[in-house]
Amino acid sequence: MRRTALRVFYDGAGLLIFAVMIFPIYWMVTTALKPGKEILSLDPYWFPAPVTFQNFISAMQVPFFWNDVVNSLVVVLTVVGISIVVSFLAAVAVARFGFRGRTAFIVMVIGVQMVPLNALVIPIYLLLDSVNQVDSLLGVIAYYMAVVLPFMVWTLRGFVHNIPTDLEEAAMTDGASRVGAFMRIVFPLVAPGLVATAIFGFIQAWNEYIIAYVLLSSSSKQTLTIWLASFTTQHGTDWGGLMAGATLTSLPVVVFFLLVQGRVTGGLTAGAVKG
Amino acid sequence: MNPRKLFVVAFVAAIAVISAACGSSSTATNPANQTGTLTIWLMNGSAPKSVVDGVNADFNAKYPNVKVDVQIQQWSDVTTKLDTAFGGSAPPDVMELGNTLVAKYASAGALADISGQKSGFENSGSWLQSLTDSCTFQGKLYCVPYYAGSRAVIYRKDMFDAAGATVPTSMDDLLTAGQKLMAKYGSDSRFSALYFPGKYWYAAAPFVWDFGGDIATQSGTKWTGAINNSNSQQGLTVLKNLVSQLSRADKTGDELKQDQAFAQGHIAMIIANGWEVGVITSSTGGDPSLLPKLGAFPIPSHTAGQTAPVFLGGSDLGIAAKSQHQDLAREWIKLLGGTKFQSQMVTVGGVIPNTTSLVSLSSGLPAIFAAAAKNSRFTPNSPNWANVESANVLQDMLVAIFTGSSSIPDATKTASDKITQILNAGS
Amino acid sequence: MRVAGSLDAAARARTRLGASSLRSIVARKGLPYALIAPATVVILGVLGWPLLDLLYLSTQHYGLRELFQHQGSFVGLQNFATILSDPQFRYVVEISLVFTAVNVALSMTLATIIALLMERVSSFVRVLLGAGLVFVWATPVIPAIDLWQWMFDYEFGVINWLLTRIGAGNYIHHNWFENPLQGFTVITVVVVWGAIPFLALTLHAGLTQVPKELVEAAQIDGARAWQVFTNVTVPTLKPLLLVLLSLSTIWDFQVFNQVWVMLNQRPNENYFVISVFSFQESFRVSQFGLGSAVAVVMVVLLMIISFFYVRQTVRNINEAGA
Repeated sequence: MRRTALRVFYDGAGLLIFAVMIFPIYWMVTTALKPGKEILSLDPYWFPAPVTFQNFISAMQVPFFWNDVVNSLVVVLTVVGISIVVSFLAAVAVARFGFRGRTAFIVMVIGVQMVPLNALVIPIYLLLDSVNQVDSLLGVIAYYMAVVLPFMVWTLRGFVHNIPTDLEEAAMTDGASRVGAFMRIVFPLVAPGLVATAIFGFIQAWNEYIIAYVLLSSSSKQTLTIWLASFTTQHGTDWGGLMAGATLTSLPVVVFFLLVQGRVTGGLTAGAVKG
Repeated sequence: MNPRKLFVVAFVAAIAVISAACGSSSTATNPANQTGTLTIWLMNGSAPKSVVDGVNADFNAKYPNVKVDVQIQQWSDVTTKLDTAFGGSAPPDVMELGNTLVAKYASAGALADISGQKSGFENSGSWLQSLTDSCTFQGKLYCVPYYAGSRAVIYRKDMFDAAGATVPTSMDDLLTAGQKLMAKYGSDSRFSALYFPGKYWYAAAPFVWDFGGDIATQSGTKWTGAINNSNSQQGLTVLKNLVSQLSRADKTGDELKQDQAFAQGHIAMIIANGWEVGVITSSTGGDPSLLPKLGAFPIPSHTAGQTAPVFLGGSDLGIAAKSQHQDLAREWIKLLGGTKFQSQMVTVGGVIPNTTSLVSLSSGLPAIFAAAAKNSRFTPNSPNWANVESANVLQDMLVAIFTGSSSIPDATKTASDKITQILNAGS
Repeated sequence: MRVAGSLDAAARARTRLGASSLRSIVARKGLPYALIAPATVVILGVLGWPLLDLLYLSTQHYGLRELFQHQGSFVGLQNFATILSDPQFRYVVEISLVFTAVNVALSMTLATIIALLMERVSSFVRVLLGAGLVFVWATPVIPAIDLWQWMFDYEFGVINWLLTRIGAGNYIHHNWFENPLQGFTVITVVVVWGAIPFLALTLHAGLTQVPKELVEAAQIDGARAWQVFTNVTVPTLKPLLLVLLSLSTIWDFQVFNQVWVMLNQRPNENYFVISVFSFQESFRVSQFGLGSAVAVVMVVLLMIISFFYVRQTVRNINEAGA
């Protein structure tokens, strides 16, 4: 009896938190579905009536939209793909090995994150300018990697560290090689951490505006956040378009999350705990 | 450096000199042989695509081997982008700049001095005075006027008729008309006869100027804040009375959402740019059915029958000092700033053209805004003016006045001292 | 118990490795360096020079003209003297510290509660909550702030409408940013809302690592939920909690967009948190030297705030690791 009551209480609390957190998102999506005059109304319309997809259609007809989608995907997948491997390697080194220079490396990883990125706009621009990588996706990719790596290394270190060494040792006494033990035992246990950091990297790179805007000038090389900024003109903001754009922009992240989470966390962790 | 490297360097330098020599000789003789890429930054929403395409087509007819790359930039954080681009080695050759930004970049040496070529630009004799002023820094010309925008009053004809109000021809009339509207509609707690958000400095400036006041005055290189002189204060007193009687807008808010507010139907008048008619009646966020009910009139002067001076906003076209294609850049600007395409800017884009000779092309509501622009003023033309704006000096002053948190003499004194200090600060 | 066991295992491993050949020792010694090399190359390769440049700029008189010519004039520590003697800067630092403390405390507490809750709710609610958090997290920052600004709008704001409707007072035509305390409250809501998804999801991921057998053992021993939490969950999560705590501190101290965009890119001086102040000096007043100096001071402040944390982390790692 008490268990059920408790479960109902927990579920209720969970739903309440869900409602509060999701409300702005609800407002964003419904706004995107509202026709013109209802969008900014003195008495709010809670439901779009009639529902219109016009905002989505016109948002996608902005010149270079698909181009921007491709650029964003190229930038983000490259950044996440490379960073996750690089940061995992470094995290293992910090969590599992003692070596000279480890303290310096940790201090660097923490210290770099303390620098406000807005203050680096000019130094970064001048650096990339001197190697002719302004207005190039490569420059943006390099910069994003440098920005997300310290965070990823640091967070992943916690996850790797949390895995009991005796699990690894046990596997090794069973005759597996160190690398084999690592891949079979440690990797699955660290998977939730990999997912969390990969998503973090994805979102950081996917949503960054100021550096992408400052660096990328050609219409053909811009990313989705710059497309989003195009709804705000000197002639006012197209709220319906902006909200439709924001909804479209956040969808790939949600899809990415669901894909990664389903594949990695679900199956592998369960197996690892049993093994 | 070893001899071989020296040789290589010398070789490369020699090639560069030779090719530069060839390049420049062909410039003078045959435009068809000119090559390269001309990069142009225009702001999002400034010129209709058809106009830009037309300019490029005409340009390529003359320079078939030059590639023109027009890149549209976003407004959000544009100064950050301009700062870095000018700081880099290859800024765009031509860029559109808001007219209040030109002094800042010209004084820092980012823009090419084109004083010597002024007469080569069509209509340069009849450019709008305050746009030309915005392009002029220490007696030299750093850009070409592109287009302008000015403010007037947009009003609801149907409400005026219902309240028995007439289009005002003096500031007193404006108050009377507003009072009639408030008497008719004021029981609606959301109604404003004249919707005036507290931070709307560009709508307040005409009142200051109309009474002979000013923001700051210059003698030699020294600026003195003038917003606290008796004329300025007189204008602000009249405005405060109008606002307290006619406006229920946020006394601490800004004007960014005034068009959407107007479209909701509880407002009879706003002070707005010509293009805001389009926002009010747009199908995205506005109300298209309002179009036939809208009228416009210039902000009236306190002297009956005259209009108050308005701030002339707009954009200019500058050439980067670091540009490798100064001649080509000028040729391109000559087209967009010339009669053919400025006429299209008026008829297709609905803006005020850069020359008085084409203003008459405006018709309908835009014509009223264009007429208002004839009596126009500009903000103090100092590279530090941008700092006055970013410090919100005038906005804070207006808020203090409208909310009554300080008296007009005190608020203007504080603002004036700050303006004097900021404008005279060394760069 | 566990610690001792793992030390035994480590000791056994060491003896075994001690017998291996010289070559494997070299490989073993070189391995960690090989592992950190790519990360080090990327971070220092891309950010190393700009960081030095930032330090250099902070000692220069560097305005627009200097930027365009790439030639500043050296002024020593004068930029720092200017900032530190500016009474406004004192306010900026104080407000940033208070803001950071409040936001870190709120977001960490709420995120922990949500993560624990996610362990206990039915799977349907868990999936729903997880998806909701991801959606919030995935929403691009700038439109999200636009959205909040609009929800708190003077005329159109749904919050004003709602508060009036439910009888919380008359909020029709209420300006939330007139009073900085209310304004910062709104900004805090936006920051915490944006911070919760990452913190809660990461903590939830961390909770899956808490050994089930330990929790069950504690429960069999008759431990209450709270005791299980403090004796089993917190110790296991401690490294992760420390990481998140310090990350939150860094991020909240650097808050920029939530202030800048919320106040239409022209916040008044009451809203100058330190990163806004730095940006304002650089890109609005065009004093890049001063702006850089503010950024340097900001890093120094963060280092002071997190000194004990960093020292502790380094010690923990050096004690625990390998």
